Formats: sequence, structure tokens, C-alpha cells
Amino acid sequence: MNTPWTTESLYEALRSDASADLEGVELNLVGGVDPTVSITMHEHGDLALQLAVSGEQIFVSSPLCLASQVKDRNAFNEACLRLNPLNPLSNLGLQSVGGEDLYIVFGELSSRSPLPAVVEEIHVLADNTLQAAEAFADHLK
Amino acid sequence: MAIWTKIITLFRGAAHEAGTAVVDANAMRILDQEVRDAQNALLRARDDLAKIMAQRKIANDKLNDKKAKQVEYSNYIREALARDNRGLAQEVAAKLATVEADIATEAKIIGEYDNSISKLQASSRQAETVIQRLKQQIDTVKATESVQRAQAALAAQHAGTGAKLGTALDSLERIKQRQTERAAQLSVAEEMAAHTGEDADLQRRLAQAGIVPGESSAESILARFETPAPKALGHDSVPQLDHVAAGQKTS
Repeated sequence: MNTPWTTESLYEALRSDASADLEGVELNLVGGVDPTVSITMHEHGDLALQLAVSGEQIFVSSPLCLASQVKDRNAFNEACLRLNPLNPLSNLGLQSVGGEDLYIVFGELSSRSPLPAVVEEIHVLADNTLQAAEAFADHLK
Repeated sequence: MAIWTKIITLFRGAAHEAGTAVVDANAMRILDQEVRDAQNALLRARDDLAKIMAQRKIANDKLNDKKAKQVEYSNYIREALARDNRGLAQEVAAKLATVEADIATEAKIIGEYDNSISKLQASSRQAETVIQRLKQQIDTVKATESVQRAQAALAAQHAGTGAKLGTALDSLERIKQRQTERAAQLSVAEEMAAHTGEDADLQRRLAQAGIVPGESSAESILARFETPAPKALGHDSVPQLDHVAAGQKTS
């Protein structure tokens, strides 16, 4: 079994591996006790993803919309639950960020995933988030 | 799993307090506690397992001793009967009866030990699975927290500028904006191309009409050489030829 990634080692690998298809993808390591990789997807309207590795898991999160941007929370929640099983490789979730409720699209991978799988996850997550935002246009202000 | 119920209860409480950081901190505490409980259960199961396996070994050794005795006494009985010593045979038979009763008892005890052993092994495996799952859940919570903190830091940066935290909606807006810009650039480029296209057409027609010089081709150059040199008036033909050659060279 290969060694699991850490946030730092994954960041370095993503930056230095020439085979990683990351055109138009800007990576920044945000330090701290538990560092994260901030990913700006220039070809996805500068969508900002966050990635962190902890133990056995890689977590990648993408901001869908703020709860304050939703017209009818109940209807939107139901729409999210119904869309979720159809969403390949990503999940929809709700988190409180800086005192505000934020709907997120996120993906989880094993920290032993090969680099191409992580790169695919990043692209798919960005695609899925924008597609979800478009699909939910009627629900949003 | 009871752990889900506990975490859901936390969320319900937090909805009133409007403090989800509390939920996260408590979720971690609950998960940590669950791991510790499961680890303790695992240690206990392993301890019990070791004890019971030792007892089973002792019981099994005893059983083997009794079985050896059983063979031994059986031989004595056969031999005593062969020598027509019925009294002795009866005495040994009485002992064999006790030994056989003991064998039955020991076998039953060993059967019970085996039952306990397989139950403890199953609960050890279960505890191991629970611990592994809980650790995965802790990893998820930790990774989620890191990401949440990073997003909160981004939100805080935006708060200073009065802008909201950027979401997919802003990205969609940006993409639309860029598409509009690109479309505008494209139409400007097309217009420019059309203009230069008009100019090119005009140039071509002027050249065709012989108003502006066209491109020199191999044919036009050849035509220039083939044109007979004008008849000179003077007799000094050599300098004249030089002149013509020089003139042709510079043309």
C-alpha cells in the first residue's frame, strides 16, 4: 500500500508533477496548524475550492451559494437532497462559515488515492458546482 | 449507530444557540469518547479472551490425562478378566466409571469455553471495526473543519471589503461576463478583418487594372529579359550594354 498524502505532500505533488493536468488552476498552500490548499479555478470563473488531508481522508469543498441567496430554504433543501444521488462523485452539504450558512458541494477521497484521481476530483467538483448553481438558478435570488 | 443520534441531537441544540462551532467541538468530543469506549471494550475482550483460552488449555490438558487413564484402566480390566480375576476387574471398573464421568464433564466445560472464545473473538472484531470507522469519521470531521476554517478566513477577508464570500453564483456571473467580453472582442476582430478584407480586395483590383504594381512573378521577370533592347543611336555599343545591364539590375 502506498503512503497516504498529507496536505503539504499533496500540494507539492500537484505543483511539481508535470503529468497533472492543472492548466488554469491556481494552487496556494494556506498554512496554519491544519493547512489547506486553496484552489482557484480560472476556467471555472475563479471558483475557489478548499482541499485538506486528514489521516485517511482527502476532503475537497466548493462553495455553492449562501443560504441568504436562497429564495425558499425548504424547497431548496429538498431540491438538493433529490439532486444529490444523481451528482457523480460529489455531495451537497450545508455548513456554517463565518456565522453564515453556506451550501457546499464536496468530495471525499482516500488519502492513498493516486494523483490523477485527485486531479480528476478537483475538475469534476468544479464542473459539478457550476452545473448545480445553474440547475438551481430558479431557487436562487 | 448511537453516535449519529448523538451528533444529530447536537445539531438540534445548536439551531437554537446559533453556534455551530460548539457542535463541531462537541462532535469531536463525542467521537473521541466513542473511540476510547470502543478501545476499552476491545482491551477487555482481548483480556477475557486470553484468560478463557488459558482456562481452556488447562481443561483440555486435564481431559487428555483422563483419556489416558481411560485407556489404561480399560487395559487393566481386559487383562484382569483374561486372568479370571473378576474381583480386581470390578474394582478397576468402578474407577473407570469416575474417570468417564469426569471426561464427560470436562468435555462439556471445554465446549462452553469454545463458545465463549468465538463470542469474544467476534466482539473483538466488531470493536476493531467500530474503532476503524470512528477514526475515519474523526478524519472527516478534522478535514471538514480545516476546510471550513479556510473558507471562514476567506469570508473574513471579504467582510473587510464589504463583499460577500465568493460562491459558484459569482463564478457563473464571472463566466457570463467573460463570455460577453470575449464575444465583444470577437465581433471587433471580425469587423477589423472585414475592413482589411475590403482593402485587400481593392488592392487586388487596382493591381489587375495595372494602376498599382502587382507582385513580381517568374513570368514577369522573364518577360523583362525577353524584351529586345532599344536600338542605340551611337556606335559605342559596349558602354551602352553596360548601361542597360546596370539599369536592369536596379529596376
